[in-house]
Amino acid sequence: MTLTMDWGLLLPALLPVAALALILVVEAIAPTARPVLVVLAGFGLVAAAAETIPGLVGDDDPRLTLCTPAPDGRCMWDGGALTSTLQLAILLSTLAVLALISVRRAGVIELVMLLASASGGVAVVAARDLGTWLITLELATLPVIALVAWRDRRAAAHGALTLLTTSLVSFGLLVLGTALWVTATGDPTLTGESLATAWAVPEQRTLAGLATVVLLAGLAFKLSAVPFHAWTPTTLTSGPLPISALLASSSKLAAIGALIVVLAPYDAVVDLSPGPHVVVAALVILTVASMLTGTVMALRQTEVVRLLAWSTVAQAGWILLPLTALTVAGRQAAAVYTLVYAVAGLVAFAAVRAIHGRRVEDGRELTAYTGLFRRDPLTGGALALALLVLAGLPPGVIGLVAKIVALRPAVSAGLWPVAVVAVVAAVLGIAVYVRWFAVLFGEPTIDAPARPAQRRASLGVALIGSAVLVVASALPQLLVGLVS
Amino acid sequence: MSALTVSHWLVGLPVLAALATLALRRTPHLAALVAVLASLASVVLATIGLFVAPTRFQGIIQVREPVQVGGIEMPFELGAGPATAAVAAVVALVAAAVLVFTRWYLEDDDRLAQFAATVSLFTAAMMLVVHARDLVLTLIGWEVMGWCSYLLIGHWSRKESARRAAYKAFIVTRVADIGFVLGIVGLVAGAGSTGLDAVIDAWSGPDTPATPAVRSALLALVVIGVLGKSAQFPFQDWLPDAMEGPTPASALIHAATMVAAGTVVLAQLFPVLVHADGARWLLGIATAVTMVGAAALALGQSDLKRLLAWSTVSQVAIMLSALATATEEIGPDPALFHMWSHAVFKSLLFLTIGWLSVVAGSTLAVALRGAGNVHQLARVAWLFGLLALAGAPFVVGGLSKEHVLVTAYEGAIGSGGPGVIVLAALLVTVVLTAAYAMRAHLVVTAPLERAEPSAAGDDHPSGMPSDAVLAALAVLTVLTVVGGLILITGLFDIHRASQWWMLLTLLLISIGAGVSWLARSSGDPRDAFVRTRRHRALADRGLGFDTAYRRLIADPVLGLARVVAFLDREVVDGYVRGAAASAGIAGWFAERGHRREAPSAGVGLVALGLIVAAGTAVLTWR
Repeated sequence: MTLTMDWGLLLPALLPVAALALILVVEAIAPTARPVLVVLAGFGLVAAAAETIPGLVGDDDPRLTLCTPAPDGRCMWDGGALTSTLQLAILLSTLAVLALISVRRAGVIELVMLLASASGGVAVVAARDLGTWLITLELATLPVIALVAWRDRRAAAHGALTLLTTSLVSFGLLVLGTALWVTATGDPTLTGESLATAWAVPEQRTLAGLATVVLLAGLAFKLSAVPFHAWTPTTLTSGPLPISALLASSSKLAAIGALIVVLAPYDAVVDLSPGPHVVVAALVILTVASMLTGTVMALRQTEVVRLLAWSTVAQAGWILLPLTALTVAGRQAAAVYTLVYAVAGLVAFAAVRAIHGRRVEDGRELTAYTGLFRRDPLTGGALALALLVLAGLPPGVIGLVAKIVALRPAVSAGLWPVAVVAVVAAVLGIAVYVRWFAVLFGEPTIDAPARPAQRRASLGVALIGSAVLVVASALPQLLVGLVS
Repeated sequence: MSALTVSHWLVGLPVLAALATLALRRTPHLAALVAVLASLASVVLATIGLFVAPTRFQGIIQVREPVQVGGIEMPFELGAGPATAAVAAVVALVAAAVLVFTRWYLEDDDRLAQFAATVSLFTAAMMLVVHARDLVLTLIGWEVMGWCSYLLIGHWSRKESARRAAYKAFIVTRVADIGFVLGIVGLVAGAGSTGLDAVIDAWSGPDTPATPAVRSALLALVVIGVLGKSAQFPFQDWLPDAMEGPTPASALIHAATMVAAGTVVLAQLFPVLVHADGARWLLGIATAVTMVGAAALALGQSDLKRLLAWSTVSQVAIMLSALATATEEIGPDPALFHMWSHAVFKSLLFLTIGWLSVVAGSTLAVALRGAGNVHQLARVAWLFGLLALAGAPFVVGGLSKEHVLVTAYEGAIGSGGPGVIVLAALLVTVVLTAAYAMRAHLVVTAPLERAEPSAAGDDHPSGMPSDAVLAALAVLTVLTVVGGLILITGLFDIHRASQWWMLLTLLLISIGAGVSWLARSSGDPRDAFVRTRRHRALADRGLGFDTAYRRLIADPVLGLARVVAFLDREVVDGYVRGAAASAGIAGWFAERGHRREAPSAGVGLVALGLIVAAGTAVLTWR
């Protein structure tokens, strides 16, 4: 079998791997040159990010590669605009996490794991066949477990164990779902034609629906959607903060990319009769449960990282909301929402790290943030903006825009009850973030945590992220237009 | 210099003056000087405007590509015409006189600069209303005037009564403005343009955009706004209370701006108004009631400044009544002419009483007895001002009032409007006006030897104003006497009046003045008309309209607000509190469910998820 290859399209995934290999070689030759390794990793990520730009600005030519020969050629790699956007976001958020880990402390293990995870994330959003999709999805998530555990703390090991257990179950589900999909459609690639063919036969249709539901369950672990969310608060609070930021940003982007790939073939069957009601029902259950559980749990938290963890669960519901429509517009809206959430989440995590420093396990209560806006206007301002965006309140306009963009496909698909639940969750969600937002503007107390010595990188990430949010709030069409 | 350039400068210059004055507020006297110089420049400009004014029927309008806002065109044009030039000239003149007087009257006031700036802005707004050929510009000028009047009336904001008067003026005129804005919006919507000429073309022809009833209703709404701003029944009560403001402010509000603005706007809309019978009836009846009632109240005031205020209400009613009764051939110019002459003599009267009150230390009639003896000019100015007010022949007020009478008569015999009622009210008003003018004259020029003039305030020990003030008063006095000559210029389109009307008014004035003269023995003729203490108090309180406003409007509105606040707090907020409580309870349950965040619990939830997924699959299996 011959495949057409367009290396340019593969470069975003290959460059981090190349950087990874180079780092291993350099480390073997000169074990003391650690700063060089960090620079190499950074270069790898930036170069890969640069390679995604043509996909963003290019014209409408299909950017397909790894295609089998015509007439019934299948392409296993799609580097279109939506894919490129997600890839860029994954690479840049990994770069931000690298900055949060701090140049001085990043060991070779961390660098390798980060690059592997980034490469897997970049690949999974572009993959169009089940084999690549499954392998790269695991490549994107498994290194994170190691990163969580890579600390000699009991709590971290505990968190990593939780993540490992769930990841294994998730992997099992994904393999099962993949197998069911191939059984149902007889096609290892995810295309609308083969799904439509399978849909015509009742038995195959049921099997395809079951395959999708099982795949959804497997992906819901990565997205931390209820009821597959239990690992999230434990892992996010016990692991190192930068890795929590990675789980909340880059991993989410990879997971939503993977989900978009799985749901894309449903374009071909969404208007048929009978329609894919099972898939819609599964998505709606995940959406509603995640939004409500995540929000009410976040309302009760007083520890900020745990609050952010539960808000991740709630935001997972919002990410899934537009997908319930099973349309192109819905997938784009999900991507936009995830992008906005990832940036705001990164800013929030970076601000938390800038306030508490490297040893962030203790005293991360809401009370430690009293009067932050006066004590530390830069961090306080960035954090306030991120919270407003997460809540969807002006002046964090982009958060509001993202929520409206996410609601629109569900409404136009006629899923009114879900939209109503989403609105209720949005209102409760405002309460979640305003609880935190409000303490920022109080009078500073005496027992405020001391400002950490090394926090330039964290502050930088927070401020660059805030700048992105401000620009996106002023010109929302930039971000919305990027994927539509 | 073209007429159009003049009108642009007349609007722009006072705005610039206001900004400059405000910028110089740290040096109040310099600031006031700047305002005075700018206003004098405005007078010069306006005088040029009189000479370059277009001849009759040839209004010049700026031609400009209209701004398209939705389906509405907005040309934002200013215009110039013969009557416009005359009105603008008198506005500029009165504003200049007021500013000159202010420099002396408020010499030691710490907020002199702010006052002068507000006067300049006020003038600019009035100039905008006068020159606007676009209803949006009219509305802007109208609203800015309302705001400036609030600032001027409440200038002495340390006084509780001044604050209340300012609030009252603002709220009463705002309430009436609801009608004004609605009417304007309706007219504009029908015409598809905010340009005055487009509106007139659309609504005055035989085929209006809506039925004639709608046209009448829209004009009636505009008339309601005008009644509010011009202090006509039933909105009249704010104006006498506005006497709490400094006297120059009163002179400005009463003579040339604010209350006169309604006349200008209705004159601009006259071609539509003349076809709107409902609006004319409303205007005619309201003005007929107002002119008689206000004149009677003026007779009963214990405070001469409030007497002048009620006389303004009555005189404005006279000019508006000319608009209500005029036929299409007569046009709006009799009303504008009366506004013109009223501006001249009323500013003269107010500035004179401002001077006299400084001498006497009060504006009460008791205190002002014989105050006119302080200076020959004061006596002359007061006398001619009152003669004009009473409508004596040949002085400016007499000429204009005669034309209003002729207009009402022509309207009464010529068309079906409210002419008869207005004519009757006018004749009664002439008698009453002569009576209270005579009373004011008798009080001020009573032959009393004043013990010493030291009753004056500490600010002005001599009680003698500066030469500039005297000059301004002299100019106004001369204009009051010979101002009628403006008819020769032909700026106002007015027909000749019959001699018989002059004889009739002379007779009526003699009756009114004679009655007052006969009642002079008691010192103040008022005591002969209003005998009991209770009646005097009732007259001073304007027949208790303030109480009526509070009982009928303010209290119900406040009560409604309380009901809404209660509903908001107890009912609407109830849902919010309920949502908060249920979210809290849900959170408590959810937390119980997540108490053991251990791998085992995670796997348990995974198993649960699997069961759900498998169940879904089995259920959908057919």
